[in-house]
Order: sequence, then structure tokens, then C-alpha cells
Amino acid sequence: MTRRLVHVGIAFLAVYGLLFFRLEMVQIVSAENIRKHPENSRQIRLDFDAPRGSIQTADGEIIAKTVAVSGPRNRLRQYPYGSLYSQVVGFISAEHGGSGIERSHNGFLAGNDLSVRIQDTRDLFIDQARTGQVELSLRHDVQLVTRAAMAGHEGTVVVIEPDTGSIWGMWSNPHFDPNHLASHDLSAAAIDFNTLDSDSAQPLQNRAEYQGVEIGSLFTVVTAAAAIENNLSDIIIPTTETFPASSDLPIITNPDGNKCGGTIKSLMINSCRSGWATIGNEIGYDSLKDVTKRFGLIDNDPLQSQNSLPGTASPASLASSASHAAVGMSMRLTPLQVATLFATISNGGSQIQPRLVNRVRAHDGSITHNFETQVLNQSVSKETASELLGLLSENVINGDAAGLQLNDVPMGGLLASSFSQSNHLWMVSLAPVTRPEVVVAVLLEGDDFDDRQIAEATIAGISRRITEAVLRLPSPTLGES
Amino acid sequence: MWTVAEVNHQRIVELTLLLLAAFITLTTVAIAAVAESPNIDWSAIPYLAVLLVLWAVSHLSLRKWAPSANGLLFPITAFLQGIGIAFVLRIDSDLLIGHLVWSAFSTCGFISVIAGIRDFKRLKNFQRPLGLIGLLLIFVPTVMKLIDGEIGSYRSFQISSVAIDPGPLGTLCLIIFFAGWLATYRSRNTAEYLGQAEPLEGDPSRFIPLIGAWLIASIAVIFQSDISSAFIIVAIFLSMWWVAVGRPLDLAVFLTAIIGSVLLAVNNVPELQERFAAWTDPWSNPQFGEAIYRSTFSLAGGGLTGTGPGEGAADWVAGATDQLAFVPIAEELGFIGGSAVLSSFLLLTGVALSLATVARQEFEGLSAIGIAIFFASQAWAPIAVALRLLPPNDVSLPFVSSNGSVLFTCSIALAFLLKISETAPDAPDPTQILPHISPKPESTA
Repeated sequence: MTRRLVHVGIAFLAVYGLLFFRLEMVQIVSAENIRKHPENSRQIRLDFDAPRGSIQTADGEIIAKTVAVSGPRNRLRQYPYGSLYSQVVGFISAEHGGSGIERSHNGFLAGNDLSVRIQDTRDLFIDQARTGQVELSLRHDVQLVTRAAMAGHEGTVVVIEPDTGSIWGMWSNPHFDPNHLASHDLSAAAIDFNTLDSDSAQPLQNRAEYQGVEIGSLFTVVTAAAAIENNLSDIIIPTTETFPASSDLPIITNPDGNKCGGTIKSLMINSCRSGWATIGNEIGYDSLKDVTKRFGLIDNDPLQSQNSLPGTASPASLASSASHAAVGMSMRLTPLQVATLFATISNGGSQIQPRLVNRVRAHDGSITHNFETQVLNQSVSKETASELLGLLSENVINGDAAGLQLNDVPMGGLLASSFSQSNHLWMVSLAPVTRPEVVVAVLLEGDDFDDRQIAEATIAGISRRITEAVLRLPSPTLGES
Repeated sequence: MWTVAEVNHQRIVELTLLLLAAFITLTTVAIAAVAESPNIDWSAIPYLAVLLVLWAVSHLSLRKWAPSANGLLFPITAFLQGIGIAFVLRIDSDLLIGHLVWSAFSTCGFISVIAGIRDFKRLKNFQRPLGLIGLLLIFVPTVMKLIDGEIGSYRSFQISSVAIDPGPLGTLCLIIFFAGWLATYRSRNTAEYLGQAEPLEGDPSRFIPLIGAWLIASIAVIFQSDISSAFIIVAIFLSMWWVAVGRPLDLAVFLTAIIGSVLLAVNNVPELQERFAAWTDPWSNPQFGEAIYRSTFSLAGGGLTGTGPGEGAADWVAGATDQLAFVPIAEELGFIGGSAVLSSFLLLTGVALSLATVARQEFEGLSAIGIAIFFASQAWAPIAVALRLLPPNDVSLPFVSSNGSVLFTCSIALAFLLKISETAPDAPDPTQILPHISPKPESTA
């Protein structure tokens, strides 16, 4: 009996050993990985009730702040502008974690980051709430202009300053009001969250950074870059109506069934898809792929703003034949990637890391982190870039981006429309095209336009309004400390 | 009334360790209060005072009615209970008053067993009624809910605002029943061997605990979707049976039958399938899965030394005061605190099992084994859920969780163990090696 009692004892020792082993695995060995798990909202949950720094725009508007309230929880996070910044700034919630800057910069905002917490050794001994203030590159005036221009439309706008990579405006519709999610009424917040989360339009998602959409003929600017690099800028393409289908890829047709051809300039002005397909064939697949890669559009995860949360969008890929790739078939990019692509061209071919956060300040106002302009790579040469700018400028003067024309500012732009599977539209504008100060990428989705010309006029109108307003706005006082 | 000379050294050990447990409890509460935890203020003091008074009363009644009982058992459980109360206070102080009423009730039960049962082996005479009561207690909620037309998981039923979970108490009754049954089986087996009784060919007695355990576990798994209480019942009765009978062939047949029942249930009971799905992929099933991944995140957030009492995200995990009571402890006290709790349960089991080796009567020894494994498996199941070793279930952590009826059952079981330990010969005292002169508690008066 005693011997068998020992069996039982050993069995239970082993079973408890399993518990010790698992506990050690979870708490010590793989704890770091579990803490970094993308779905891990424990830290946000802990910080929900804690003192929290404010978030402000580059022009000093406070767009997220924590205020003292009465009740069992004595602090409430407020977003004074509601949905205006919802997708960029995100939300913080007791039960549903957080998103956007609130989550990606939680360490600074909640004061968990040591550099924010401790300015000098004396700070170790003073018990006082220490949080960081996050200053964005977003401009309140630009954001307001963007929202006004997009009123009544579904889609996304990214406004970026080419030579610093500062994102001035980022707005998309549908959106949400983060105040509801930060509410202390947890059941109401849960209902709101579940409604938003299950909405098929995905208002919680920041479309500008995380949603890839087919760009179509916007890609011809990359094809043009490849053509210039291969000394094909003076090639004359014979006039064609269509480009024949290959084994598994569809036929390439021109909008309205036009016949077109000529130099790359006339291809761009006429949106000559059949011509671009022919030139793509001339350039060759490898050369086209090489340029695309240098622009950072394929093979890597989609470019995101600095320090943003990892997204789920998959890397874009080129179509399998050079001619189909040349017209951007199946090339899906996020609005931020598109804006960065044209910002790179505007900036003499040097690609700048786009950023949303300019700096972080400690509780006493001193700057603890200053996010500098960061050059990623030289995608194309200066000469190529300036030739591309010439093409884009010509496209506004004579081509299908004519709706962008302004009286006193030379503009560059490109339009992409008539997709076979969806009726979204893209338009990018650069102004002034001689030395661009601003790049505006507009994506319109979900509007049911019957007439393509009305659709193109609408998106051109939106782009022009935003670009013009941004150019005329007083420059914000940047760079002071 | 009591003079120093009369105090058994076991009681001195007990008192010392109780003071340590009280110190740990009060320190934990104090640190949590300093950490700006919104739930703790000065109103917590009366509650803690009541807890200490209950411990003192239990200790004094042990001095009076069971002076030679083992001195380790009660302080270990007191430590667990104290940690549990400290965390209930820190997470949801509204639960505390109900928990203390249950604690007082449990202490009454504890004292009535200590004072009322003079000789534990007499319980053997009541094994049949106890077995019947045990079955009733285990199956009454099932039957009640079946009559109401609900089929699903439930281990407790509500009487106004009080949740009563009769399952563990039923298990405890069945432990006594099977201990008696197996003791009878063994004595007849011995008599047969010695030629003092007619041989009974193919005696079915030894199968009864196995068949009983299989039936109860199968019903628990199939009708209550409760794989953990099935695990507890199987662990208890298998251990008792193995010590008493120990035939490998029977064991193999039994395990096959159990696995068959579990597979049958997993393939046919939708709720059990959901629980298994939540176990393999917590994200797929928010109802059961949320508590699992939140537990993992909380535990990982604690790390080696923990966040410190009052600094964790304890109320984030549903069931943090009941089934998953282990999670906030291991989060805020870290791997060190979690190991301390695990070690306490291991120590409790070890002491109880060692009682079985020195028990004079096989009935007492088998009961001690049953109760030891009862504690061990009842503690193992909910901790294993928090660590994703078992699918989610509704087993409350003994002594630690705020589930009062489980605390009551565990206190009764603890009192049984103490009574068993009292009759076991105390090794350091040479006069007690001979069982017939084991002193009665009253003999010192």
C-alpha cells in the first residue's frame, strides 16, 4: 500500500511540475513576446485610468486630453474634435484596448518611457504624475480643409510635405467618434465598439495606412521612370486601340475606346493604356521590377508612418507580364504609399520616411524625442525625377488632370479611373510643380457615378480645393522648441 | 484554562505559522492600499480583523478538541485564504462581506467537525448514507436544471443572491463512502488470504469505485460539459483505488473507458466543443476564449517579480476572484508569488498524503488520500485553465477563491484531515507508537 501511495505522490508531483513549467514559460521565458503580442491590450487597460499626456497638432491644437471627472474613475480621456482625428489618433478604451497614436505611442503618453519619466536624478524621488505630450505633424487647418472638401464622399485623403515627410493631413470616411469608446460607461462603450467593429465599411480602420487599393494608371509614372532610365523617352509608340490579352491576363483597352500612341508624353496626356502596355514590353519585366522595388512599392510590407502599429495589409505585387504590370494592373497600394511615391518624385527622387509625430515633450515642456527627417533611399536620379515632374505638369495642362488647373500656381497631377472591378478613383496633385511644397493623394470610393466624366470632375474638384487651400494657408510655426 | 505545559508542540508550530500567514495577508493588503488602489481604504480593517478572529477561534478550538492534530495543515490553508481575501479586497471589495459571512459559516462547520466527531473512523458506519447524499449533491443541480429544460454547463445554483455549488461537498461525501468501501474490500481480501473467510471468486467489490468514478465522470462530461470536475473525480477515485487495490489491467480498462466517454462528449456536446475550440484558439471564441488570452497577457505582464499588489490589471480578467483567482496573484506577486501558492497546495497535498502512511486504520488512510487528492486536483484544475493546460471550466480555487460554498467544503475536508492526523501516531513522542495508548484529547484535562 505504501509503495502504491508513492506512485500517487509521484504522479501528482509530476502534474504540479507541469504547472510550474508552464508558469515559468508564460511569466519568464516567453513573457517578452507575449507582452508584445499585437492583441495584447493589457498595458492600455492599465493606463486607461492613469494620468495621460495630451496629443496636439503641429499648429498647437489639442486633440486628445485627459480631464479630471468625479466618479469611481477620476480621469476621462476626451477628444475635443471627435471624429476629425479618429483614425490617426485612435482611441483608448477600458475594455477594447486602443488604436492609432494612442496605442503606438502609449509608452510616452502614459509616462512608461523612462526618458519621459526621468529628466534628472531628482525626479526619482518626487512622486508626481509624469506623462509625455505628443506633438503630431498633422495640421488642424489642413485637416479641416480636407474634411470639408470630402464632405459627402467616401474615401481617403493624405496630404504630405515632400521634403520632410511630414503628414499634414490624413482623413478618411467612414470614421468614428473616439469619445464614445473612451466612455466610462463600459456597456455603452462595448455596444459602440461592437457596432463599429462589425461594420463592413470598417470605420475603425485607418484606411490611409492599412488598406491597399488598386492604383491602375497611377502606376504609369513608375513605368515612365523606367522608360526614361532605359532611354526610351523619345520612342514613338504606334497608334493602337487595345493591347492583346495573354494566356491568363485580360485584354488592355483604352478609356472610351480611343486610339492613341506616340511619345511617353502623349501616352500620359491621353491615358493611353495600350501604349503604356507596349512600352512596358519594351522596357522588360526585370527593369520595371527594379524601378518599382527602388520606389519601395513591392517585396516589403507596405510603407507606414514612423513608429506606427504594424498593419495587416500584405505587400503589393506586380502583375506577371511586363505589359500588364506597366499599366498597374493588380498593383494595390495604400493612400499613404501613393502619396509617398509622388512625394519622392517631387523631392528629386529621394524617398523620405513619412511621419505623423514630430516630437515628444516631457511634463516640464522639454523635448525628449525629436523625430528628424529620415531619408530612406534615392529611388531615381534627380534628372529622372524632374523629367517625371514635367510629364505630370503637362498632364495638368493638356491631359486628363486638367481639372486641377489653378490660375497662378503651376500644378502637376495624375488621375486613375475606370477600373474593371470597382468604381473607385485616384487623383494625385503636386503643387507648385516647379518645386512641390505639397502632395495631395485623394482616393474616392463607394460613390456610384454613372458618368465617368462627372466622377473625374468631382475628384479633380476635391483635389484642387484641398491643394489650393493648403497652398494659401499661412505656414505653421514649425521648428521652434 | 490552558497552561503552557499542556500545549502540544503541534499547536505551537501552528500558532507561529498562523502569525506568519496573518503578517503576509496584512502586508499584501497594506502594499495594495499604498499603491493607490481605489478599492482599499480604512474600512477594510474590520474585515481583516474578523478574518484574524476566525483564525484565532479555529486555532483555540483545535487546542481544546484536537490538541495533537497536525500543526501544518491549518496555517497553509489560512495563508491561502488570507491571500485570497487580500485579492478579493483589492479587486472587488463588494464581494468581501459575503465572503466573510461564508468564512464564518465555514469556521462553524470546521469547529463542529473538530468538536463533534470524536473518532474519525466512526464515520465508516455512515458510509452508505453519506454515499447517497454525495450522489444527490452531485446530481441535484443537473436534475433540477434538466427539469427546467436547460442543458448546458452549470455547477452551481442560486438561492436568492447566494450561489451554492454542491458538487465539491458531494465529492467529499463520496470520498468517505469509497474509503469505507475499499477498506472493507481490503480487510475481506486479507481475511480470505489468511483463510479466515470463504473465498469469493470474482469479487466485484474492487470494481465499484472505478465504475462509480466512470459513471459520475461521464455524466459530468456529457451532461454538465464539465471536463474539469470529471478530471477531479477520476483523479480522486483512481488514486484511492490504486492505493487500495492496484491492478494494472483494471487500470488500463478504466482509462480506456474514461477516454471513450471524453471522446464521445467532445464529438457530441456542442458546448464542450466550444470550450475545446476556445482552448485551442482563444480568439475564435470570445465567450470562453477572452478570459484565457487575458490570463496569459496578465501573467506575462507580471513577470518574475510581479507588478506589485494593487498595480496589476486584475479586474480585467473575468472570474479573477473565483475560477481564475490564481491569475491576479501571479500577476501582481509574479512568478515568485505564483510559485508560493502552487507550493502551498503541493505542501498541503504532501502533508495529507503522509498522514495516510501513518494512519492506524485503512479507512482513515484512504480517506486522507482521497482528501489530499481532492485538494490537489481541485487546485490544479483552475490553475491549469489559467495556464492553458485545460479547457476553460468553472472550478473554484480552494481557499483562495471568493466562492463561499467551496470554502465551506474545503474547511470540512480540512477538519477531517486534522481529525485523521490526530489519531495518527506522532513520531517524536515514543509513547504514541503503540496505538492503543494514544491519548484521548480529554485525558490531559
